[in-house]
Amino acid sequence: MGMIKRAACALLALALCAGLSGCATDGGAGQRLTFQIWDNTQKAAMEAICAAYTRAHPDVTIDVQVTSWSEYWTKLEAAATGGTLPDVFWMHTDEMLRYADGGILADLTDLYDDAGYYEAHFSQGLLDNARGSDGRIYGVPKDRDTICLVYSRELFDAAGVSYPDESWTWHDLTSASQAIYDATGKYGYLAYNDEHLGYWSYVYQAGGYILTPDGKHAGYTQPATKKAIAFYVSLQDEPWCPPQTFFAETEPATAFFSGEAAMYFEGSWGLRSKLEDYPSMVGKWDVAVLPACPDPLSGDGRAVISNGLTYATAANGKNLEAAKDFLRFLGSEEAQRIQGEQGAAIPAYEGLQDTWLSVFDSFDYRINAEACLSMFAYSVQSPNNAARPAWKTRVSDEMLRVYAGETTLDAALESMQRTVDELSNR
Amino acid sequence: MRISAHDARWGALLAAPTVLGLLALNVYPFVQTLALSFSRTQAFGRSTFAGLENYARMFASTEFWRATWNTVYFCLLTVPAGVLLALLTAVLLNQGVRGRAAFRAAYFLPMVVPPAAVALLWKWMFNARYGVINALLGTSVGWVTDPALVLISCALVAVWSAVGYDAVLLLAGLQAIPATYYEAAALDGASAAQRFFRITLPMVSPTLFFVVILRAMASLKVYDLIYMIVEQSNPALPYAQSLMYLFYREAFIAGDKGYGSAIAVWTVLLIGVLTLFQFSAQGRWVHYDS
Amino acid sequence: MASARRSGRAAVYLFLLLGTAAMIAPFVWMVLTSFKTVEESMRLPPTFLPRAPTAQSYTRALSLLPFARLYLNTGAMILLRVACAAAFSSMAGYAFAKLPFPGRRLCFAVVVTQLMLPPQIFIIPQYQMLAALRLTNTLFALVFPGLVSAFGTFFLRQAFMGVPDELLEAARLDGCGQGRIFAQVALPLVGAPMAALAVFTAVFAYGDLMWPLICNSDLNRMTLSAGLSTLRGQFSTNFPVLMAGSVLAMAPMVALYLLFQRQFIEGIAMTGGK
Repeated sequence: MGMIKRAACALLALALCAGLSGCATDGGAGQRLTFQIWDNTQKAAMEAICAAYTRAHPDVTIDVQVTSWSEYWTKLEAAATGGTLPDVFWMHTDEMLRYADGGILADLTDLYDDAGYYEAHFSQGLLDNARGSDGRIYGVPKDRDTICLVYSRELFDAAGVSYPDESWTWHDLTSASQAIYDATGKYGYLAYNDEHLGYWSYVYQAGGYILTPDGKHAGYTQPATKKAIAFYVSLQDEPWCPPQTFFAETEPATAFFSGEAAMYFEGSWGLRSKLEDYPSMVGKWDVAVLPACPDPLSGDGRAVISNGLTYATAANGKNLEAAKDFLRFLGSEEAQRIQGEQGAAIPAYEGLQDTWLSVFDSFDYRINAEACLSMFAYSVQSPNNAARPAWKTRVSDEMLRVYAGETTLDAALESMQRTVDELSNR
Repeated sequence: MRISAHDARWGALLAAPTVLGLLALNVYPFVQTLALSFSRTQAFGRSTFAGLENYARMFASTEFWRATWNTVYFCLLTVPAGVLLALLTAVLLNQGVRGRAAFRAAYFLPMVVPPAAVALLWKWMFNARYGVINALLGTSVGWVTDPALVLISCALVAVWSAVGYDAVLLLAGLQAIPATYYEAAALDGASAAQRFFRITLPMVSPTLFFVVILRAMASLKVYDLIYMIVEQSNPALPYAQSLMYLFYREAFIAGDKGYGSAIAVWTVLLIGVLTLFQFSAQGRWVHYDS
Repeated sequence: MASARRSGRAAVYLFLLLGTAAMIAPFVWMVLTSFKTVEESMRLPPTFLPRAPTAQSYTRALSLLPFARLYLNTGAMILLRVACAAAFSSMAGYAFAKLPFPGRRLCFAVVVTQLMLPPQIFIIPQYQMLAALRLTNTLFALVFPGLVSAFGTFFLRQAFMGVPDELLEAARLDGCGQGRIFAQVALPLVGAPMAALAVFTAVFAYGDLMWPLICNSDLNRMTLSAGLSTLRGQFSTNFPVLMAGSVLAMAPMVALYLLFQRQFIEGIAMTGGK
């Protein structure tokens, strides 16, 4: 029993330490801001931006806090309801309209004295991402992204297949997959059930769409949409593509970086961390533009889904003025340049896209990250409307049923069309 | 005992912190949930009265009924098997085996590991292609992706985690049985089976009842374990999704608090009914005389 | 007869040893995986021992999570929750068992009801209360949902029911007030159930996954379970890193447990009764 008492005393002492040191950090004069993000791999870059800001504003300190994606929105919603949102936080297009239209976010339309600042430095597509349904701007554009084809040089070499390039179409993707599978027994292209990193780009390449530009109607039953999704789903039946049950247990990136597969789609935002997380794979892989649709129903067969995040603040934040000043900095050339040079993400600020490339020079093998930038020429904004959070899970569940063979693709597309139309016009 | 004003004052005083705390922390949120279940909710706490709309939608949903069945099935898979295994372990440990403390320590080990780590570990071992379980068995079974197996696999993890804890509780109950009972039975020439069913089981039944109630409530509320093992991209999700998992997806991911609340209220009703049933059935098999 | 008994004995040991193996083996696999590279972890057929053991997964897990803080926070949270549960539940448990007061049945119904409520529905309302108190992002926030315990109250009420009324009556005849009877006569008699409650509360608090992530934003004020979830957010299915993080998360608790396992388990075991 004596031992237990001693242990309890020790623990109590620890608890007091934790409590006290917890309080100690709250002390001190000056302005203290919190900055909430979800991607841990961008934490260092965000801190570098904060450091640049606080050098000019020594009385301000900024805490960068990371909550992983799976809990970020639950947390943010709790905070929004409780009136305790962080001073500055990342906003995703999927949730932007819900927060902006819900009156949660501060109107940032007049953030800059120069009324034309946004239009001068950010593309129209990115600014549309930052608007609420009322057309006002609720977020400062942070970055923009594309999706690229990551391929294993090792497996392509082993099978004697030439590397993917601009000339590739869907046919090349499947024939290379087959050749690699025949020669090495490894998986070819990993076609997994995902919208953004999966079939969405195919849909727009074929000339279809997910939502009409006004966001009021879905396009799942359009012939081109149907064609692309049917193609994507059918890949699962190829011997070189693992079934969806595989991906439920092993993420495509994990499978690829353990040498089990030859190709998968990765977001530009994930490339740097892949080089860091898998040091022994550096030099064995590279990236290329997405293959094109060989016979689109309309258009030239090229498309890639592109998205962009924004920085936002709460309408009723208690440090609103300080937060706005920091937001002004986040949208400045200096802050956007730091973001690019740290390799965090491709800056939203026009003309700074190339700064993002420099970080790739520091690895032993220089991947062709330029491919991600070159696709902006034909990129399509990630489809979105205010009902997005509600239909996202429904559509994903319906796709799972298709993959499981519980429903036909046609029936599923009809049902997705109905669901999205209904939810979007509530 | 006499009821005096002094006692009543002390009683109210001592109970006050807990009762007030529970009213604020738990009962009030439940009342809120109840109210929300009759509302159409918009983002960030605004809502309008919607009558039985959420319930009508819920009862018409196959997904909801499947989740209800999944929850009951999970309870059926974990409670009887887990409690029986724990009882068996406790009875064997009570045979005066050598190294009892070491055995006890091993069985209890999963309880001191964060459940998140337990779930990650099993998810890795269950992996159909790279997992150690299929490698050892020489099979290629989709333990967590096959609709027929996924809940059984989750139940296995739940039982594995809890069996040591339950066994330790039951072992204590067994040790409280006076040795004289067994000696008398031995004189009467009772077999081992007779001794178990005539002495051990009745004498340990109050502890057993406590363990059953504890496990049943926990399994009907299950969420974390299934959430960690069966991701939302898993095609077997409809066959694994418990009621509270469905609640999480509707209320937090899809953002429909009203519909989510209806699911939560249904879950509470289900737990309430099953608990009442267990309490009313306890007279048939639980012996409280000592 | 003797040989039957001996083979019965052997069967008992065989069963217990198999059970022990089933309990320990997964943890062995956890440790072995944590020392493999991700390539090796996905080799077919799987290797048993790491070919070229590497600690790189530990380096990555340690660089991501502030483990020292997580240990400290988890320890502090557990201790404070246990202290609250023990203090308030013993008071209320005693009142419900021994001190009739007006409205006692109704109050007890509140306790029993709470046992049936799924904890997920408390998250947003409790967060709002905490926000109104301006106490999010603190150590207190981690303890908040565990300030009072319905389970503890229910559990200790059962224990106090077992305390003979005569003992309390005798103390009263000696001129003790109820406060002293509770603290000096009744409380010492339920030491073992209190220990069991402490273990139960600790285990429950330890596993709480969602709440720490919601109530606190700063990784430095999170618990181990919440930290593991963050690790999973970045490394999804990179199991060597996830296993290394799990090993680091469980190591101190397992070490403490192995040191104190006798007291730990006997605490629970003492409650056996009813």
